[in-house]
Amino acid sequence: MRYYILKRILIIIPTFIGITFITYLMIRLAPGDFTSLHAGIEGELKAGSLSKEIFEQEKKLYGLDKPIIVGYSEWLYKTVKLDFGTSRKDGRTVAIHIIEVLPITLSLNILSIVIVYIISIPLGIFSAIKKDTVIDRIVSITLFLLYSLPSFWVALLLLKYLSGGDYLNLFPLGGLYSDWFDQLNVLQKAMDVIWHLILPVVTLTYGGFAFLSRYTRATMLEVINQQYIVTARAKGLSEKKVLFVHAFRNSLIPLITLMATMLPGLLGGSVVVESIFSVPGMGMLAFESILSRDIPVIMAITSISAFLTLIGIFLGDIMYAIVDPRIRLEAQQ
Amino acid sequence: MTGYWGTAWKRFKHNKVAVAGLFIVLFLFLIALCAPLIANNKPYIIIKNKALYFPIIIDYKQFEGVDLKKIDGYKLFPPIPYSYSEYDLNAIVVPPSSRHLLGTDEQGRDLAARMIYGTRVSIFVGFVAVFIYVTIGIIIGALAGFYGGWVDIIISRIIEIVMCFPTFFLILTILALWGQSLLNVMIVIGITGWTGIARIVRGEFFKLREQDFVVASRALGSKDWWIIFKHILPNAMAPVMVSATFGIASTILIESSLSFLGFGVQPPTPSWGDILSQSRDFIDFAWWLTLIPGFAIFITITSYNVLGEGLQDAIDPKQYY
Repeated sequence: MRYYILKRILIIIPTFIGITFITYLMIRLAPGDFTSLHAGIEGELKAGSLSKEIFEQEKKLYGLDKPIIVGYSEWLYKTVKLDFGTSRKDGRTVAIHIIEVLPITLSLNILSIVIVYIISIPLGIFSAIKKDTVIDRIVSITLFLLYSLPSFWVALLLLKYLSGGDYLNLFPLGGLYSDWFDQLNVLQKAMDVIWHLILPVVTLTYGGFAFLSRYTRATMLEVINQQYIVTARAKGLSEKKVLFVHAFRNSLIPLITLMATMLPGLLGGSVVVESIFSVPGMGMLAFESILSRDIPVIMAITSISAFLTLIGIFLGDIMYAIVDPRIRLEAQQ
Repeated sequence: MTGYWGTAWKRFKHNKVAVAGLFIVLFLFLIALCAPLIANNKPYIIIKNKALYFPIIIDYKQFEGVDLKKIDGYKLFPPIPYSYSEYDLNAIVVPPSSRHLLGTDEQGRDLAARMIYGTRVSIFVGFVAVFIYVTIGIIIGALAGFYGGWVDIIISRIIEIVMCFPTFFLILTILALWGQSLLNVMIVIGITGWTGIARIVRGEFFKLREQDFVVASRALGSKDWWIIFKHILPNAMAPVMVSATFGIASTILIESSLSFLGFGVQPPTPSWGDILSQSRDFIDFAWWLTLIPGFAIFITITSYNVLGEGLQDAIDPKQYY
């Protein structure tokens, strides 16, 4: 087991380097010189209006005057020490920016994954038990339609019809806190944040139900046809026990690794969802940094989301090995 | 029709929902192809002074700079007599009416015309991007699966790296730094999206490369590329096609999300996502600007997904439980 964990950790390193290097390469190889890159939406640094001296200084600051390999190595060295540089926009360190936004996006995403699992797995098991009945079909069609609904459209419609008061005024128009947040007690504060998070979480989750519940249904049906289930039934166990003790535990295995593969998609989805609901999270920061070509922030966000994804996959692998002894044994050989 | 594809088609035909999906997909194709004939501010034909003109097909010198709507004589207009970029300052954000079937946007452009041309963008981006990544995926997957060993180890590692990419964010970064254009959207989706296909092809090649027909072909002295493309690949194409169909759905979704965020097409080119994005300023009252493009995206994605689903069931009946 120790060897297995070590092997998985060693795989993380080249993958992380690969992802960040390709992103760095894309930034460095972008056409147009540094001035036009940095013109940004503010337009305060338009070519010509910037003296050559400042221009060279800026270039040096971001390591863009060095060859790509050297520039990347320096970036990597600093990043390992958790020094992400300073944001071009307001001169604050990128690390502080990230610390501000990461908990918001992380809780949004973890909450979404948990909700997707809590709803999809019972739905999947239910559909597997009710296989080929009318209700199974209704569930699968509904989930399929949900899966095809573009999230930004749903977000707009939710905002239009459920918030703001044109139709209903159930939810806030965006943001994370109400204006009167400071005057609330702890419980009310928590309720206020939850109230603000409902629509973004709904938007992030509804599309995931279809995939996960169909997956659960399929693995469940596969397991049900195995011989040991027949044996369990034959020795007179109750149907409940057969399904939930014998079948479900084994169909759970593939579901664990799926959790990790959901991460990159969710982080990408955060960009859209956070910018529509004006949630001040990492997705929003990502979007703003891209609009203003804030390279240190772009690189930092890329590495953090890559790192989180890799950690997710790593944990998935470890959990997989814990629940499935075959994997552990294979690794030992 | 008999044989593998014939049997698959027979199974596919029984799936009513999938056939409906196929019809919608073909219908959208037709709209995209015939967009200038459906929505155009030029008439199909003009009969003036006993002469016959076809302004859509031929550019006439005498009509240059002339408003063809005001010309006298007999005119036969397309069902939507507006172009996608033509603005009518007397009809800004008007609801659907007999004049503007789907209403107009904030510049007084006809929504129906923009929706029809938007179909072109969606389908074009979907197909080109998926074509790029299917090609890359097939080549890379075939190399890994056919040669195995070191080639496979290296390629599998590359696949793992690309799969962990925060793809959507990378696409945004590249579009921001390399310039926003439809071409860049297609290229970036193309070069980041191939991992799924590569894994499928690799798996199929692993299954097939020890089969008798491959061994026989090798015994006859065939070159590697001949065995790969002539013998193995055709047998591995079915799951690739299924995956590509789902891929078109997700590419259309990515393109519309990008356009929605302002990173897609350049104005005045219409894209469904872009129309939806502009509707945000009028969301209180201009329901047609919000509902229609969103619904179009939804229907398109659903049809491709349903079609992919149907194809999957048709080529792989094991999937039926």
